[in-house]
Amino acid sequence: MGAYLLRRLGYMLVTLLVIATATFFLMKMLPGTPFNNDRLNDQQLANMNAKYGLDQPVAIQYLKYMSNLVQGDLGDSYKYVGRSVTEVISERIGPSALIGFQALVVGTLVGLALGVTSALRHNSLLDYTSVTLAVLGMSIPSFIFAALLQYYVGLKWGLLPPALWKGYEYTILPTLALSVTVIATVARFIRTEMLDVINQDYVMTAQAKGLNQRKVIIRHVLRNALIPVVTMLGPLAVNIMTGTLVIEKIFSVPGLGEQFSLSVIVNDYSVIMGITLFYSFLFIFMVFIVDILYGLLDPRINLRGGSQKG
Amino acid sequence: MKKRKSFLAFTLMAALAVTGCNFNSGESSSQSPEPNNNGGTTTEQPSSGKKVLQVFNTDEIPSLDSAHVHETVSFTVLNNTMDGLYRRDQNGQPYLAIAEKHDVSADNLVHTFTIRENAKWSDGSPVTAKDFEFSWKKVFKEAGHYSFMFETLAVKNAVAIEKGEKQPDELGVKAVDDRTLEVTLEYPNPLLNQLLSFPTFYPQKQEFVESKGDKYGLEYDNMLYNGPFMLTDWKHDQGWTYTKNPNYWDAGKVKLDQIDGYVVKDAPARLTLFESGQLDRIELDSSYVDQFKGDPRFHIIETPTIYFIRFNHEHPVLKNKNIRKAISMAWDKKGLTDVILNDGSSPLNGLVPKRFATDASGKDFREFNGDMQQGTLEEAKKLWEQGLKESGVTEVKLGVNAADTDRSKKIGEYLKNQLEKNLPGLTLELKNVPSNQRLEIEKAITYDLSLGTWGPDYADPMTYIDMWVTGGSANRMKYSNPKYDELVQQAKLNTDLESRFKQMVELEKILIEEDVAIAPMYQEGLAILQKEYVKDFVYLPTAPTNNYLWVDIVK
Amino acid sequence: MSMELERTKNNSQLPQSAAPLFPADSIPEDLFVPEPVDASLQEQTSGPMKSVWQDAWQRLVKNKGAVLSLFMILLITFLALAGPSMSGRTYDEQNLLFSNLPPKVPGLEWLGFDGVDSKGINQYEVRGVTENFWFGTDEFGRDLWTRVWKGTQISLLIASLAALLDLIIGVAYGGISAFYGGRTDTVMQRIIEVLMGIPNLIVIILFILILEPGIFSIVLAMIVTGWVSMARVVRGQILQIKAQEFVMASRALGASNSRLIVKHMLPNAIGPILVTIMFTIPSAIFFEAFLSFIGLGLQPPLASLGMLIQDGYVAMRYFTYKLVFPGIIISVLMISFNLLADGLRDALDPRMKK
Repeated sequence: MGAYLLRRLGYMLVTLLVIATATFFLMKMLPGTPFNNDRLNDQQLANMNAKYGLDQPVAIQYLKYMSNLVQGDLGDSYKYVGRSVTEVISERIGPSALIGFQALVVGTLVGLALGVTSALRHNSLLDYTSVTLAVLGMSIPSFIFAALLQYYVGLKWGLLPPALWKGYEYTILPTLALSVTVIATVARFIRTEMLDVINQDYVMTAQAKGLNQRKVIIRHVLRNALIPVVTMLGPLAVNIMTGTLVIEKIFSVPGLGEQFSLSVIVNDYSVIMGITLFYSFLFIFMVFIVDILYGLLDPRINLRGGSQKG
Repeated sequence: MKKRKSFLAFTLMAALAVTGCNFNSGESSSQSPEPNNNGGTTTEQPSSGKKVLQVFNTDEIPSLDSAHVHETVSFTVLNNTMDGLYRRDQNGQPYLAIAEKHDVSADNLVHTFTIRENAKWSDGSPVTAKDFEFSWKKVFKEAGHYSFMFETLAVKNAVAIEKGEKQPDELGVKAVDDRTLEVTLEYPNPLLNQLLSFPTFYPQKQEFVESKGDKYGLEYDNMLYNGPFMLTDWKHDQGWTYTKNPNYWDAGKVKLDQIDGYVVKDAPARLTLFESGQLDRIELDSSYVDQFKGDPRFHIIETPTIYFIRFNHEHPVLKNKNIRKAISMAWDKKGLTDVILNDGSSPLNGLVPKRFATDASGKDFREFNGDMQQGTLEEAKKLWEQGLKESGVTEVKLGVNAADTDRSKKIGEYLKNQLEKNLPGLTLELKNVPSNQRLEIEKAITYDLSLGTWGPDYADPMTYIDMWVTGGSANRMKYSNPKYDELVQQAKLNTDLESRFKQMVELEKILIEEDVAIAPMYQEGLAILQKEYVKDFVYLPTAPTNNYLWVDIVK
Repeated sequence: MSMELERTKNNSQLPQSAAPLFPADSIPEDLFVPEPVDASLQEQTSGPMKSVWQDAWQRLVKNKGAVLSLFMILLITFLALAGPSMSGRTYDEQNLLFSNLPPKVPGLEWLGFDGVDSKGINQYEVRGVTENFWFGTDEFGRDLWTRVWKGTQISLLIASLAALLDLIIGVAYGGISAFYGGRTDTVMQRIIEVLMGIPNLIVIILFILILEPGIFSIVLAMIVTGWVSMARVVRGQILQIKAQEFVMASRALGASNSRLIVKHMLPNAIGPILVTIMFTIPSAIFFEAFLSFIGLGLQPPLASLGMLIQDGYVAMRYFTYKLVFPGIIISVLMISFNLLADGLRDALDPRMKK
């Protein structure tokens, strides 16, 4: 197990390195510089580029960046003069993470409930309804939910604040809007997996043996169905948490997703790199954790060999 | 047992969330307003008896360092928290602010300012002439975006320092003593007083700035304020709070106790917040205008920001003047402004917008040259045919470089439809790209047509006119007319205001009518919704536009 | 093609029950003789032999949701192709006199298609407009019926292209990775991990900025980030199949690699591949809508469903119809594809016998 861990860590580092390099060069290919302003003349532009070392050959910029990175320095933002990238990220991750976490919890719990019941009553009206609801949830663009929630719950009925970020109640609407997708995804997934498991021989055996139905469901079916769900949750979680751009924009939530796309548009190289690396690191880490969990949960998976990861 | 493990994943997320969850950053000493109870209908201000104005911003403040600011948001904040030698009044006229006396030498080149005794920083220390000398030189020492303003101001050696031929310390500004500032010009400049109200010329207290190092201007408590308000809170990307500055030399004029600024980027969200009582003033998107037209809270503001088409003057077909003129004439500007934009914008048929500048007798600049590049559709078609023939082609395909904002997209769509309909043989290809890229393309002159816009830096037609000199950074068209360049230079040095005005009228005529260098489109309007209890909100035509100094809340 | 035949219940005929000659409890044991087994009956099946596909189809058809979805998809596709010509107008015809007209369908006024705007004013009357715009118009006076169906065309086109190319690349990559296994597999999987780590948004923006924005660049951008899931599904399938006995048997009999791939693996993998495609299409549609919403969509005056929704979103408050029609269509498309894919998956899974 130890050797496996080391190997995995090694892979992770290599992956991160490759991602950093690839993103760096991709980003440099983006047209435009961070200093574009209607009023700057060429001389000033040249001065600013020189000040930030942007006039040097790309290869040198890359080496410089990498050496800083290894020491934990992500550089300063170009748009927000004087603020370090780490600061920007740490300021913005909070709201995204909070909403994301809440959406994940609410979404998973409701999704599980929905998915399990509908799997147990396969092909019943309940099943069809919940599948339809789930698919609706996944199909209708989240910003429509967001806009509806904002308008009706926030404005018309005045139950919750429609936008901004000034206290705990401001997180509720964005969370709800975001959790719709989670509910839908989890519900469908768990339902499919459960249906899969329910039809396995060992479940029929357990039933034939006369075991309590509920025990059968919990001990055998759910346990095994959850494994792939866990696999899926990892990446899903990271995606949600690093901010859904749309939700953040609509509710004026100062989150990371919004920051990221803004930075891309204004060519704030260091922030783009910083967020990309952060996101990648989280993702790879999540996959790693999930793989370990997966391996622990399912004794059939041989961690040393080529495990069939989902 | 298995369920527990899946919750392991959750706890990992929880750890992340807990580290980041911050609503009220520890240091805020702010008096943030109690959350409004949204009863569905419009709500009242917090009933603490305080006068609080709630405004929105389209973006976060990048920095409050006056030597570096170049964005509207920063300008607005600085304008309301700082004061310069001069300030503009409700009509945009400059009046003495931090300076209480302004003496001019006989040759109009040396200007001596006496700093007010009661001009103080928010920490109680006096504002001195040294503060101005320090901040002005800093702009060059640190390569600030708006260093060209010194050139516009005509400060001695500004141009040379910019080119690197001289050192920033040789700038024509000197603090003779604590209360006397001497500014030396290259040539007499009638725009001086007005320009001095611009944020780039605000003072900075050297001691304080140096004590804060890199962090100066990045947090609300890393700033000293000498203006009507001070920032008492700044939550990055969320908003900031202004509080009345008791140390302001003119504090008597300030009626507001507090201003809350929020960053709200989404147009529908802004409307929702206005209706729920959390914003007192918003700008309306064109699709909402019709709904609010009769509403007493609805206002249209005409701004002097112009929208126009740049031509690539080296393009084989576009270099023909008839072609350019035909393009300018063959579309209905009113349709765009009245129906599609529907926000008070109006067609523009010249370079300088309406009601922006007048001569000594009060006649509007715009009226001198009247409407140029106008004519009937038949005339336009004839010019088009002629131009095509002269260029030796029967059809032409042109790309339109534009930003990817909603507004630009709409303009492009309309323009394309109109021009293709009216000018046979023309195909337009719209290329909407992010603003930075649009600018890049424009600067590199790799476009055919480019939708451009310009807002005035100061209240004088020269701000539009000197864009077009050969090689000017705003030219971006390879347009060059030596006669134009020469006349611009003459006008700049001309101290006789009447004759200077006439020269500028002539220049506009050369640019628009004779050379058809650009095709003007329209002059911008703003549709505003403002709560009726907000009084005396002053919106000035040149940046910084939003002035809170005189605002009052009257319930 | 070697298919796994369905084993249906083996109903061997039971002898008719004889009339009771003896009361049940007094029947001696030795009166019972094992029935003679007719060898030829052993292989008899009670129903006709069905191929996997026929069986799957029958199961699919029983799934009402899937059938309805298929119908909706076909209907929408038909309308997307024929719709624009139904109105007699083009998608980019502007006429400011018709700006922002609410929808009006003679005969359906009671349903809300009455040309009355959010303030209760009948815009058609007020402006003296005699033509009917079934879905209303946008601010340029362009007919929304035509635009919406044209947009659907484009969205479907983009989605299908993206799905198809995803398929080709994904199958090739996943197949090779799984088939050769070992080192090749590991390396190829690592590459996938790396690719998944790069945020899609950057790649997409890059493509759209470097190439001219348009259908081509969007499709390309979506493929570059989308083929990964197909590759993984294919790989998973092939790995599973590889471990099956009949493959070993085939190999032992001397089958070549290509024969194995073509005759054994691919046909068995088709099921999940098909299902994955069915899932790719709605996510492509959705992703394209997302791109449009954040401003990276097609160039005007072209419209895709996503762009129409974007326009409609801003105007939603007072011109709800601008959002409703494209919104419903995209939702129906997504739901239908998802349900159909679900149904297909259920139908193709031989274990789901209920």
